[in-house]
Amino acid sequence: MDLIASLTVNGLATGMLIFLLAAGLTLIFGLMSVLNFAHGGLFIWGAYAGVWIYYVTNSFLLAIIVAIVTGLVLGLITERLIIRPVYGNHIQQILITLGFMLVLQELIKVAFGPDQKAVHPPAWLEGSFQMGDVILIKYRLFIIAIGFLLFLTIYLILKKTRIGLIVRAGVMDREMVQTLGINIRFVFMAVFMVGAALAALSGVLHAPYSGVIYAEMGLEFSILAFIVVVIGGMGSFTGSLFAAILVGLAQAFMAYYVPALSLAVNMLIMTVVLIFRPQGLFKVKG
Amino acid sequence: MIGVILKSMTKSNLIYLGVSAILLILPFILTGRSVQFMITQIFIFAIFAMSYDLLLGYTGIISFGHAMFFGIGAYTTAIFMDRFDASFGALLIAILVAVLFAAIVSFIVGILTLRLKSHFYAMLTLAFAGLFLVAAEKWRTLTKGNDGFTFKVPEFLRDSTTIYIVSLICLVLIFFGLRRMTQSPFGRVLVAIRENEERTVSLGFKVLHYKVMVSVVSGVVASFAGVLYMLSLRFVNTSVFHTDVTIDVLLMTIIGGVGTLVGPILGAALIELAHHWISGLANVHWIFERWIILYGTVYILVVIFFPLGIVGTIRSKLSGGSMQKMLSKKKAG
Repeated sequence: MDLIASLTVNGLATGMLIFLLAAGLTLIFGLMSVLNFAHGGLFIWGAYAGVWIYYVTNSFLLAIIVAIVTGLVLGLITERLIIRPVYGNHIQQILITLGFMLVLQELIKVAFGPDQKAVHPPAWLEGSFQMGDVILIKYRLFIIAIGFLLFLTIYLILKKTRIGLIVRAGVMDREMVQTLGINIRFVFMAVFMVGAALAALSGVLHAPYSGVIYAEMGLEFSILAFIVVVIGGMGSFTGSLFAAILVGLAQAFMAYYVPALSLAVNMLIMTVVLIFRPQGLFKVKG
Repeated sequence: MIGVILKSMTKSNLIYLGVSAILLILPFILTGRSVQFMITQIFIFAIFAMSYDLLLGYTGIISFGHAMFFGIGAYTTAIFMDRFDASFGALLIAILVAVLFAAIVSFIVGILTLRLKSHFYAMLTLAFAGLFLVAAEKWRTLTKGNDGFTFKVPEFLRDSTTIYIVSLICLVLIFFGLRRMTQSPFGRVLVAIRENEERTVSLGFKVLHYKVMVSVVSGVVASFAGVLYMLSLRFVNTSVFHTDVTIDVLLMTIIGGVGTLVGPILGAALIELAHHWISGLANVHWIFERWIILYGTVYILVVIFFPLGIVGTIRSKLSGGSMQKMLSKKKAG
């Protein structure tokens, strides 16, 4: 019981981090059918920028804020310099974003050095709660809480506000939204920046969770996010939450019981989904 | 009209054969081992890059895991040579297994994703390549993990001139084979898929069959390049599965010129020479150890400003910019 509870908490926490990464990917894809292979680079820049501030100021809140700002700025740069010049050409877009991913990854090594860096959770999130014989680690609960909170916030924005309406309509039919006099490019840029900020936030939250950060982490983690986007359905926001939790739990349980197969199990889930439901579990209608 | 084309065809064939003949004599003039080794590397990566061009240039499929097939060829050869005796028979079996293995993997990946949008193939190959990298790192009894291992190759392949000539012959044969394939009706259908998939479907072609077939051919050729790579290097580690390898081959194909087959050969030569040059500069300044930044930047600039590559640009100049028109039309669509 103890074990299952703690593995579930682990899985949920990992799932939430993947969700933050996948949410941006899926919305960006839905809006402009751009699959941003550089998303992992934004994740890792969020992690390093945040951890750097955390080292200097010892304030985790400030680290989170800096990571988000880094994400917003990098998102703007990526959209303007990398994606905009090749609009409408999918092949060039896919090629160029992967190139940018590797540049971002190597720039990390230039800016912060190639070695792994150890990170500890802040004092107020260290330790654990004891409930009966179940031990719940505070930091993981913190990640889960933030993840759910962000999911709810974005979900409400998407469902209840005019901005959300425009974004949802854009995902379904971009041309139609444009015909109605809305500058879809601007909407896309805003969504891209928010997506990048979520990725950067995911990065900085992941740092104390895994205990170390290293440059290649971005690509590794973004592979999980891609798997999630495929399982959840390209363009589906809710789908990416469910898929992320599924992948997170599968990862956590496999890592404990059959460590060698923890990546393979997610590939297996994705394969099964691709065979029987290639449009993903939660396909956006339209 | 047809007569002109025929004449130019034979002319270009003559040029290719002439260049091959010069390259065949070259090792007897340049007897230095390191020079021969480097040109051999160029030949091997040229084969690898051509296999990539088949996907990206001719069919418009993007793979981000091409290192996987290269690594499959490399590890199969290395493990066979290490576990069994380093005989010619064992090598033949290794090649057969490598090629079969690559064919099966590319078939599975292809059948799963090629009926969907191009993003899926790119993602799935990236993920599969990640899986193979992890497997090579974790399955230590078979692969000896990250450190890798050295092994012996058959006696007659140990001489650097021999491996040079073997690689050159393979390159020439594969080049003419693939060229024949791209000029056949099969190749024409591939180009049609690249230009307009919906129309190709409506003309009654089973597009998925063609795409899966070309991805299998590409995977097989790539794994064969991996086999040759091992024969020349005689050492394997997990770096053959790294994304860097995929980026290298992408850069070779794009700089040389997509959809030209000659372009990737040229690109392979350029990138290999650049590697050599940059690794020489690593002592000068530490920034050269981070050569991926340089490569990635060049790669991004080439994709934006120079999408036809060297050979493609020259050809479009010669043919009065019709390629340029074609590309700009594609962009608009």
